[in-house]
Amino acid sequence: MNKQIISFPKDGKPTLIANEWQVWDGERDEGGIPDLEHGFHKVLVPFHWWITHHKNTDVINRASKGEIGVWFAADDDILKHADIIEAGKALWPVVGAHFPIFRDGRSFSTAALLRDRFDWQGEVRAIGDVLIDQLLQGARVGFDAFELRPDQKLDVAPKQFDLFSVVTQNSWRDQRATIATA
Amino acid sequence: MYKYDHIDQTLVDQRVAQFRDQVERRLNGTLAEEEFRPLRLQNGLYHQRHAYMLRVAIPYGLLSAKQLRTLAFIADKYDRGYGHFTTRQNIQYNWVELEQTPDILAELAKVEMHAIQTSGNCIRNITSDAFAGVAGDEYIDPRPICELLRQWSTLHPEFAHLPRKFKFAINGAKEDRTVLLCHDVGIELKKNPEGELTADIYAGGGMGRTPILGSLIKQDVPWQVLPSYLTALLRVYNRFGRRDNLYKARIKILVKALGPEEFARQVEGEWAQLHNASKNSKDNFTQAEWDRVAKHFTKPSYKSLTAVDNEQLAARFTADLDANEKIAFTRWLERNVKPHQVPGYASVILSLKPHGTAAPGDATSAQMNAIADLSDQFSFGELRVTHEQNLVLADVEQAELLNLWRAAKQQNLVLPNIGLLTDIIACPGGDFCSLANAKSLPIAKAIQERFDDLDYLHDLGGITLNISGCINSCGHHHVGNIGVLGVDKDGEEWYQITLGGEQGNDASIGKVIGPSFYANEIPDVMTSLINTYIEQRTGDEPFIDTYRRLGVTPFKEAAYKNALNKNDAKHSKGATA
Ligand code: HEM
Ligand code: SF4
Repeated sequence: MNKQIISFPKDGKPTLIANEWQVWDGERDEGGIPDLEHGFHKVLVPFHWWITHHKNTDVINRASKGEIGVWFAADDDILKHADIIEAGKALWPVVGAHFPIFRDGRSFSTAALLRDRFDWQGEVRAIGDVLIDQLLQGARVGFDAFELRPDQKLDVAPKQFDLFSVVTQNSWRDQRATIATA
Repeated sequence: MYKYDHIDQTLVDQRVAQFRDQVERRLNGTLAEEEFRPLRLQNGLYHQRHAYMLRVAIPYGLLSAKQLRTLAFIADKYDRGYGHFTTRQNIQYNWVELEQTPDILAELAKVEMHAIQTSGNCIRNITSDAFAGVAGDEYIDPRPICELLRQWSTLHPEFAHLPRKFKFAINGAKEDRTVLLCHDVGIELKKNPEGELTADIYAGGGMGRTPILGSLIKQDVPWQVLPSYLTALLRVYNRFGRRDNLYKARIKILVKALGPEEFARQVEGEWAQLHNASKNSKDNFTQAEWDRVAKHFTKPSYKSLTAVDNEQLAARFTADLDANEKIAFTRWLERNVKPHQVPGYASVILSLKPHGTAAPGDATSAQMNAIADLSDQFSFGELRVTHEQNLVLADVEQAELLNLWRAAKQQNLVLPNIGLLTDIIACPGGDFCSLANAKSLPIAKAIQERFDDLDYLHDLGGITLNISGCINSCGHHHVGNIGVLGVDKDGEEWYQITLGGEQGNDASIGKVIGPSFYANEIPDVMTSLINTYIEQRTGDEPFIDTYRRLGVTPFKEAAYKNALNKNDAKHSKGATA
């Protein structure tokens, strides 16, 4: 996992910050959430794991301390579980959406749905096969944090967001430029 | 014609810079080929059999003389002096260098052109009627909507990595010249009884391995809300389109699997949310945006003239023509000159299908420059690219037709074969394309050589012949009255024939007639098919009607009888398709 992530709040600037969240894949779940790498108390658990385990006492305890968020797999149909997500809004400080491979764009729609359908106000973090050439699209659909694939160059990443000063369709972050506003 | 404002210009300029950086990272090794591939594809850059190929967008087929001159310049400076106009209103260069592509894009940006989303799994260049704005049978000029949707789809962040490519076509005329039903989404523009512009949406059409015609999924969508409706549609596709199997990833497979009703219902559900939430929001196209765009599609300064029909025209010019010319010119009037909305004007199709000498759709830089001059001289400095891989001068004074014909003749552009058997649509096939199973261009050439008697071709009337080098169907063989498909059997090139395909309002998918043939058999097979038609037709019955009346059997029998006589030995091996 990455020590740093890119944080790009809707009304802020992209910056590199320390990564506090470990992404857990949900394996080895007999004993619940395993011990995490030293120092990490905060964990993103798979959404499907949350669905089956969120009533367990230790999960409730950890969640109430703000130490649990969930991540959505690319093929999670989040609209099917709207009630759980609605309830989760009060619990999860962060949600993630996963890119199994960079050219699988389903999580772009997941992020868009979280923002426009669920009115999710907290952090939505891109995880998995996240490359610098996806950052711009991710930022526009609703992601405000990015854990890049470890081989990606963190120093050139933030400048990706400045490549375009105009857009021609509305999105979570920006309204399309029209002649009226130009 | 649309003119970029500073927003459009900024966008393409910044896109050039972005791509330049991506190419640099590729060249210095910090971007792996696997990761560069989708990025370059979204900029129309393929890696082909011999070289890189760049596909440049010609949105809804409209070009200015200046743009065409730039295309010629690029052909000369960065390629081998020619370009290939495709069925989807793009131009392809077959021999570009990776290092030079950013410079080519910069040249394009100077004349308001680009290669954005001409390939890749995103919303591709939006195509429309090459006669938009001038066609006699048009009820709505589709170009403002095309342009608004071009902007909306350009670098759309949510739909940059769809399961598969996504193609829109937009029509506003009685006769569909856009192959609407063969597109992922076909938008049929209408006016409702109140005179407001609305759209009927067809989804799930496409060619390829599983050819399917699109289904009507929604009627009467007001033009203003197209962004939210199409967002809903694409979102359903993005989330649920298959990604496990390349061949099942197109929207047509999703629509088929769910059924058009269920697909429509899911889109409706998503749209209800988007549209409710954004009822008062800025998602809808506004009248101000319409006005800004539509003002570029007003009519040029036509003179006020009286209309003349073709016979009168031919008669008027007769004095200036010798006997041979008279026949050629009259044929050209008949086939290559189309009716216009404005009295005294006509639209002229320049044939890029010379018999047997160049690949269908190819134009040399010299031709491009000459055509640019012709458009300045005869057609307000604009031209169009057709689905059939020809070029159109849309606004020619009828009185100038003879002058135009003479000038265009110098460039070998007046072959009167539009809509005839030799007006072949063909993909680049095995000569260029790394996906090909067989060559297409030599087949097109051989057929054109066999059928180069223009009297005979005219007598045959309208017949479409489409050739693809593999099942991807770039040559649209499924919707040709006669289709030829290259297939590979044990490393050898074979050709399968389909009959009964049709584009337009009566679109249909052709049927395979049986085992495939060798390349050298194809001209004979064509002759057999055509002879059968001639024997069986009643009066002026077009080929497709004769085929629909009789079915495949007589054609099939003739094709195999004659081919088998000649090629018994070869057929005894590998005679199944
Ligand atoms: C040499 C470069 C080319 C390559 C590598 C290429 C690649 C492909 C591929 C892979 C498909 C199949 C898509 C699918 O499975 O759904 C396809 C379809 C298609 N291509 Fe090409 N192509 C090339 C050139 C062309 C040209 C020259 C034209 C126009 C003459 C063209 C127009 C089309 C069209 C109209 C389709 C069918 C789309 C549909 O299914 O609706 N392509 N191409
Ligand atoms: S049909 Fe096949 S051979 Fe022809 S261009 Fe398309 S992919 Fe290449």
